[in-house]
Amino acid sequence: MAEMVKLFVNGQEVEVESGKNLIDALEVVGIEIPHFCYHPALGADGNCRMCLVGIEDGRPPLVPACKTPVAEGLKVQLDTDKIKKIQRDVMELELINHPTDCPVCDQAGECKLQDYYMSYDHQATRMRVPQVLKGKKLDFGCGVIHDQERCVLCARCVRFTRQITKTGELGIINRSDEARVTLFPGRPLNNRYALNVVDLCPVGAMTSKDFRFKQRAWFLKRNKGICHGCSMGCNIFIDHNREKYKDDLIYRFRPRFNPEVNGYFICDKGRMSYHQENEGRLKSARIDHEDSPLVQALQTARRRIEASDKVLLLVSPNCSLEQMLAIRSLATEKGATISGYSDGCIQTGDADGYLIQDDKSANRAGLELLQIDTTYDFFKESLQRADTLVCFNNDLFFTDPDPVVAEKLKVLQTIAISTHETPFSRQAGIAIPAASYSEYAGSVINKDGVLQYFGRAVEKNVPAPEMISIARDLGATLTEPEALLHAMKRCIPALAAAESDQIPERGLKLTLSEAAHVTA
Amino acid sequence: MEVKILSAKFDIKDAHTLAVAKEHGAYATLDAVFAMEPAAVIDQVKNSGLRGRGGAGFPAGLKWSFLPKGLNKPVYLAVNSDESEPATFKDRYILTRDPHMLIEGIIICCYAIGCHTAYIYIRGEYTTQVKALQKAIDEAYAAGYLGDDVAGKGFQLDVTVHRGAGAYVCGEETALLESVEGRKGQPRSKPPFPAVSGLYGCPTIINNVQTIASLPFIMQNGAEAYKAYGTEKSPGTHLFGISGHVAKPGLYELPLGLPLMDVINKVAGGVWKERKLKAVIPGGSSTPVLTPEEAETTTLDYESMAAHKTMFGSGGIVVLDETVDMVQLVKNLIDFYHHESCGQCTPCREGLGWMLKIVKQLLRGEGTMADIDLLVELCDNIEMKTVCVLSAACTMPVRSYLNKFRHEFVAYASDRPQGIDMNQDKD
Repeated sequence: MAEMVKLFVNGQEVEVESGKNLIDALEVVGIEIPHFCYHPALGADGNCRMCLVGIEDGRPPLVPACKTPVAEGLKVQLDTDKIKKIQRDVMELELINHPTDCPVCDQAGECKLQDYYMSYDHQATRMRVPQVLKGKKLDFGCGVIHDQERCVLCARCVRFTRQITKTGELGIINRSDEARVTLFPGRPLNNRYALNVVDLCPVGAMTSKDFRFKQRAWFLKRNKGICHGCSMGCNIFIDHNREKYKDDLIYRFRPRFNPEVNGYFICDKGRMSYHQENEGRLKSARIDHEDSPLVQALQTARRRIEASDKVLLLVSPNCSLEQMLAIRSLATEKGATISGYSDGCIQTGDADGYLIQDDKSANRAGLELLQIDTTYDFFKESLQRADTLVCFNNDLFFTDPDPVVAEKLKVLQTIAISTHETPFSRQAGIAIPAASYSEYAGSVINKDGVLQYFGRAVEKNVPAPEMISIARDLGATLTEPEALLHAMKRCIPALAAAESDQIPERGLKLTLSEAAHVTA
Repeated sequence: MEVKILSAKFDIKDAHTLAVAKEHGAYATLDAVFAMEPAAVIDQVKNSGLRGRGGAGFPAGLKWSFLPKGLNKPVYLAVNSDESEPATFKDRYILTRDPHMLIEGIIICCYAIGCHTAYIYIRGEYTTQVKALQKAIDEAYAAGYLGDDVAGKGFQLDVTVHRGAGAYVCGEETALLESVEGRKGQPRSKPPFPAVSGLYGCPTIINNVQTIASLPFIMQNGAEAYKAYGTEKSPGTHLFGISGHVAKPGLYELPLGLPLMDVINKVAGGVWKERKLKAVIPGGSSTPVLTPEEAETTTLDYESMAAHKTMFGSGGIVVLDETVDMVQLVKNLIDFYHHESCGQCTPCREGLGWMLKIVKQLLRGEGTMADIDLLVELCDNIEMKTVCVLSAACTMPVRSYLNKFRHEFVAYASDRPQGIDMNQDKD
């Protein structure tokens, strides 16, 4: 726990954490200091002048809050006429050359200029001279579109490419009101995190080519999720909406702050992975390549499993812990073999030492925790002996299988439980659609052993069944939420020791003892 | 009235060369200086009362004493030669006519503050000056006045000339440091002040050329000799650049404290063409303007200027005769500061452009009385809300013109009260 200091805001005593600047420290206690350029990930720049606050008896009496650390006994003035006037004046100056094209601006609804205008300005324009004209809809590369006229020159995007990606594609050229953010000629944005500048931009100057003109921000429902693009487990917001006569669709992923996992940002590939939640899905069940009602497909699958001697269950490292537990209970119940082998999602050398990982699955650590064998030898051996293969969304067949495996698959009875239409689902004897991770709640463990929970975000018009309920219909015994939680607590002492049944917002860091406990 | 301290060698042929400069006493103080403790040198400069000649007038010796003690970091000296304030043309004379006086001053200062690397930041437009300066530095190196063993005293000192790229704002000391470090010249937020964390994060002293060039005289003749010139609080001499509508414009070295009108009339030959005086800009374009009445009681020192709600500034005196259109002048003034705004802070970046457009609109006869009031309000809204004082360097003088010559602005307003003619002040 950080040391606390007492200071006064508008004469009221407040207690805040030491070591922070006024903006961050007071935000925690619900006091807003308006600002454009400051961002906790990028530090204080002090150029927007929106966060100027008064310091009673202070020298100087007027300071930028972003550059002012909290101090015991500091007397901060936010509501004096002088400060209110400064905020109004700075807002007026921010807006005189702003196009105010909110009706066609994607940022509308989540724009600092709009919010602060309502809170701190609220006056008619006095600008009676022509505005400064600058570049519009400039393609900056990586799907980033820039509008120099909307820009407030806060330099967050510039600092992002310098401090975070260290690629430095962006800079501010020219002086005075001709200053603008731009690129070196012929050198567009070229990094794997570029779209973060869209979120960082406090106004509508940086927009995403992918998201532009698709949705108004205020129609979007925002749910907390975990990106399943790799084993980092970045925290995201899933922004989705069901338009009239349409299905519930995801329109974008945005990073969600978690200092224990991803900080403030996510990679562009993970951000764009929402498309896969909307597209290429397995829509209906099939028995022997003929469309079939779901119930019938499930019953047939159960009969075929029961009629088999040697069943191999192949589980995906993208499944949630709860799903893995349910599937494992199915294996126990049926005396089936269970394998978690999957190499299709490992892209060796793709990791960058920051957020992007080689392993493109979200819960491989979960497989290990539950002691589900992930070796190829075990899988191949089990497959040779098996007469039925039930594949729970495993990505094995995204890559070319071994000829021996391929040969075996032709003669084997196969059941695919799949979120997406894949080569395997197409050739499987029975194909059953399943809910994908934006459509169910669950827990995953990232590559650093952080256990994280995510809730259900999207509700499709015709929801695909969750994998746990499919497992139950196939004969699994461990499928009720309470029972699953109990099972999780048994293999994760840290969760058992936690006061609440809820996995904390920022995740639960599992220690070595967890692994040791499982092995013991 | 003129004195010859800084300008002693200005009129001597080839005084910019080491040989001639030495004949006339250059580098003669070094023996005495190196015999002293550095702290004693600082004390002597403090006692002389020498104030920074860049414009702000901060006591030089006091500035040096702000350097943190016992820090395990190098100390840097940056000599500010980015002389860009309109109407200011004093440092350029030192650079071309007597560069060795500056180099000697740098040696004295560096010895006093324990600095072994000095930078001279010179504005990019000073092409003649940079050549003369570099030639003098090369000569000083060759003669052993710079380098590993300064004047055989076992003191190491390197001097590097850094050329600016033509930005007024780089005369602001932290923007100057940014520029030396190779970045876009934009002022830094203070604190930390450069004396604590300046160039490359190290303690740095930044002094104007004229300040540093004053050191050899002070060390040679003592603090009392320097204080014999000028007033008690503004001792010494200053290079005044007098321009505008006077009979004899030029650079004059004068002790501080002389009556402004005496200097204009007796030194600079008075207002030219027998015209009437309209106003005086006392110390460069960023200083608030003085009316003839105010000019009568003003003396050329920091205190009198402050008492007249203006500033001593850089010593660039501009005399304006009765033909000057103050609205045109203000347009030129804002045009300059708007063009030179680094664009970092919102109020300066957006506000100065807006003010310029309003004045231009007024000049076209399309402005209104409300626009004049808006100009005054914008001055208040912009000033002191920014990282540096560039915006204030524009709004302070502009406000003074709007207050003291408001009728000229009103005469341009399309909705001016009846009876006010647009050209009533002109012949």
